[in-house]
Amino acid sequence: MAMTLPDNVVQVTELSKKFPNGPLALDRVSLEVPKGQLLSLIGLSGSGKSTLLRHLNGLIQPTSGTVNVLDTNVVAAGRRELRALRREVGFVFQAFGLVGRLTALENVLSGSLGRLNGPRFGTLMYPKTLRREALENLDRVGLGDQVFQRSDTLSGGQQQRVAIARTLMQRPSLLLADEPVASLDPESAAQVMDVLFRIVVEDQLTVICTLHQVELALGWAQRIVGLRDGQVVLDRAVDNLDQEAVMDVYRRVEPGQKVSEGQDLTGSPSTRVS
Amino acid sequence: MSPAELSQPIEQGKSETPSSTRSLESRLKRKTSGDRLFLRCVIVIFIAAVVWAWRHIDMSFSGLIAGVGDVRNLLGRMLPPRFSDLDDAIRLGFETLWMAVIGTTIAVVLSFPIALGAARNTTPHPVVMAVCRGIIVLSRAVPDLIFAAIFVRAIGIGVLPGVIALGLHSIGMIGKLFADAIEQTDKSPREAVTSVGASKWQAITTSVIPQAMPSFISTILYRLDINLRSSSVLGIVGAGGIGFLLQANLRSLQYDEALGVVTVVFVLITVMEFFSAAIRATLLGGDRTLVGRSTPRASLGSKLFSRLSTRGSESATSSQRFNRDTVRPPWIGELRMKTIYGVALFILIVVAFRSVSLNPGELLGAFPDVWKVITRMFPPDFTTARQPIIDGIIESVAAALVATFMGALISIPLGLMAARNVAFNKFVYLLSRLFLLFVRGIPELIIAVIFIAAIGLGPVPGTLALAFGTSGFLAKLVADAVEEINPTPREAVFAVGATRNQEIATSVVPQAIPAIVSNLLYALDINLRTSTILGIVGGGGIGFILFNALRVLKLQTVGAVLITIFVVVYAIELLSGWIRKKIL
Ligand SMILES: Nc1ncnc2c1ncn2[C@@H]1O[C@H](COP(=O)(O)OP(=O)(O)O)[C@@H](O)[C@H]1O
Ligand SMILES: [Mg+2]
Repeated sequence: MAMTLPDNVVQVTELSKKFPNGPLALDRVSLEVPKGQLLSLIGLSGSGKSTLLRHLNGLIQPTSGTVNVLDTNVVAAGRRELRALRREVGFVFQAFGLVGRLTALENVLSGSLGRLNGPRFGTLMYPKTLRREALENLDRVGLGDQVFQRSDTLSGGQQQRVAIARTLMQRPSLLLADEPVASLDPESAAQVMDVLFRIVVEDQLTVICTLHQVELALGWAQRIVGLRDGQVVLDRAVDNLDQEAVMDVYRRVEPGQKVSEGQDLTGSPSTRVS
Repeated sequence: MSPAELSQPIEQGKSETPSSTRSLESRLKRKTSGDRLFLRCVIVIFIAAVVWAWRHIDMSFSGLIAGVGDVRNLLGRMLPPRFSDLDDAIRLGFETLWMAVIGTTIAVVLSFPIALGAARNTTPHPVVMAVCRGIIVLSRAVPDLIFAAIFVRAIGIGVLPGVIALGLHSIGMIGKLFADAIEQTDKSPREAVTSVGASKWQAITTSVIPQAMPSFISTILYRLDINLRSSSVLGIVGAGGIGFLLQANLRSLQYDEALGVVTVVFVLITVMEFFSAAIRATLLGGDRTLVGRSTPRASLGSKLFSRLSTRGSESATSSQRFNRDTVRPPWIGELRMKTIYGVALFILIVVAFRSVSLNPGELLGAFPDVWKVITRMFPPDFTTARQPIIDGIIESVAAALVATFMGALISIPLGLMAARNVAFNKFVYLLSRLFLLFVRGIPELIIAVIFIAAIGLGPVPGTLALAFGTSGFLAKLVADAVEEINPTPREAVFAVGATRNQEIATSVVPQAIPAIVSNLLYALDINLRTSTILGIVGGGGIGFILFNALRVLKLQTVGAVLITIFVVVYAIELLSGWIRKKIL
């Protein structure tokens, strides 16, 4: 990391995204995330959470607006700059993104590809120092016993922990997590969130995590941002947040019923905290 | 365990298999009356075309009966087979095997970059994609025997033109199936690897290739089987292998010797199928779901081989001991299997090159000559031999139509008998499966050569040979299609007290008809490809003109013939593909 740390790790202004023949997935979203913050992004399915996260490391290019992450202008960045940025930004996916046929270790090792040049076939093509590092990271997520097991023979919770260990290979300063526990049973989900939280605290990471379990978000985050139909409808610190305001994010606008409240939510400054 | 269960579908490509890879969803889909009308139209047009073709090639029932008599006569002179130059036959048999190995190796090496360029998710540029797909389509449409005949003129008689022909022609299927496999990979691992900062090629090698690997292996083994059949006939045009010996024996009327050679070919092909089924079962054991139905049912060979791998694999799930300092993967289970197979494969390829005394430099050196011959075919000359080309291609299409129809007549009852859920008793089932195995163990062109020896030159023996060959693999497809049908309507028919034959007529056949028609079209597609080369051995059709033009080195005419073949074969392929998609 550069010596002059930016105050805001993430700075998004007026970001809009329209998919070709798709909906307006993001509608003038602005978001600032200071270093070290644990932010949870909530909203109904289809509200644009994943799309927002994917903009932050350049997996998607915006229709309009600016995206600055770790002092990199993501929109203008060339391939090389983008690779450099992605190296710094960890990403944990709902679908884990593991190659099932490869061992846990090899999947973890692939997290170091950003630091290496050229392709790698097989564990032994990675240097020994990286293999040791990968082993340590597997230990850290509690999978020291499954190092050489094929990833598709691991349980869902174990697979997500492998994915977290892979992200640790990047030694990220910003961690993006897209519904990391949505496809897990409650017990594995709790275990994965514990591991994630412990690491985040130990490594002092900045985190943006989308979740759709509100209790999980409330217990975990310092700040909650709510999206609906691609718009930010809630942005508050957790301490002065009541359950009602959070549930409003999920409330559908039903015709002829509480219309005013629905409109109020989208536009009202009361839900926007500066 | 019957030996027939070892046999793998040969002519059917995985992605091209009409009956077996059809999704459950599409099978459950209710047929609308429009679909049924379409199906009926297809059947009527097909029958009309067959009637026309039957007349066109002067096929007649009396001729057919006479032909059967001729073949019986010839068989009488062939039996018992003689093996007086068995040493020679075995030596050439191995040469045939090595040619198949080298040809497949060449094809894999060339296909890999082409597939990466042709797959939507890995191609560097749309133009590259179009070019790669073009190469795939072209190489598939030109039969390997035609490639071989041309290359023999370019670089002389021997193994070299043979392996290059196998290699170039196999790009079509291998490249296509590789590209399909690449496109079917899950994209989430790739996104994950990209988001750690990996470059495009790092992401492809780390996340896409490993996912596609089981399918790659399956394709390669499958193509190796096919290339072994092809390489056993290449000798007919002087491109090496055992086909040369067969041709020589037939020319000198030593029919019993010829049958000896055919026996060697049969054994070779059957043993190869056995091994490839076994290797497939072991190597792909853990990935069965990834390669779907193309993995074989349990076979003797696979049991044999899997014993090797299971010995170490129990440790794959428990915690393994390894050196925490070096973090090297322990050499057990799957890894050990893969290493053993990898080393064995490498040795096999080296042995292959050594045995046919071919060095890779020589191989590379031949490509400029090949290229020169290809460029000399342009611009193609359509005028000099215009009428023969037109007549020839029409005759080829007619022969393919009649052969498909006759093949169907033989194969539908045969296929029903060989279907486990229909077979009248175990004996009939086994007998039919064995017959299928036998027919499929002899390449069609060898059957054609024998039929021509028996009946004489012309499209009729060629067509008969084609029909005979088709019936083998068509019956297999029919049997598989019937085994897959939904059992419920059958039970309902049984329940009202129908007899077995009534039951087959009312419930089994109608249910299997779309699949059977689809397989027929597929067979037509393949038969057309084969019928374009029948002329090379005297079986009529456009191959004869091609061969003559080559003999007098009228390469521009050869170019015209090739383009004609390509256009017609490709058009029929598109048409049959379109119809198949509509009726299934
Ligand atoms: N690649 C895409 N192409 C077209 N539309 C997309 C694509 N990705 C997402 N969308 C659409 O954008 C909207 C937001 O999706 P997403 O960001 O995945 O929502 P969330 O993660 O909150 O469930 C949805 O309407 C979705 O259908
Ligand atoms: Mg999402």
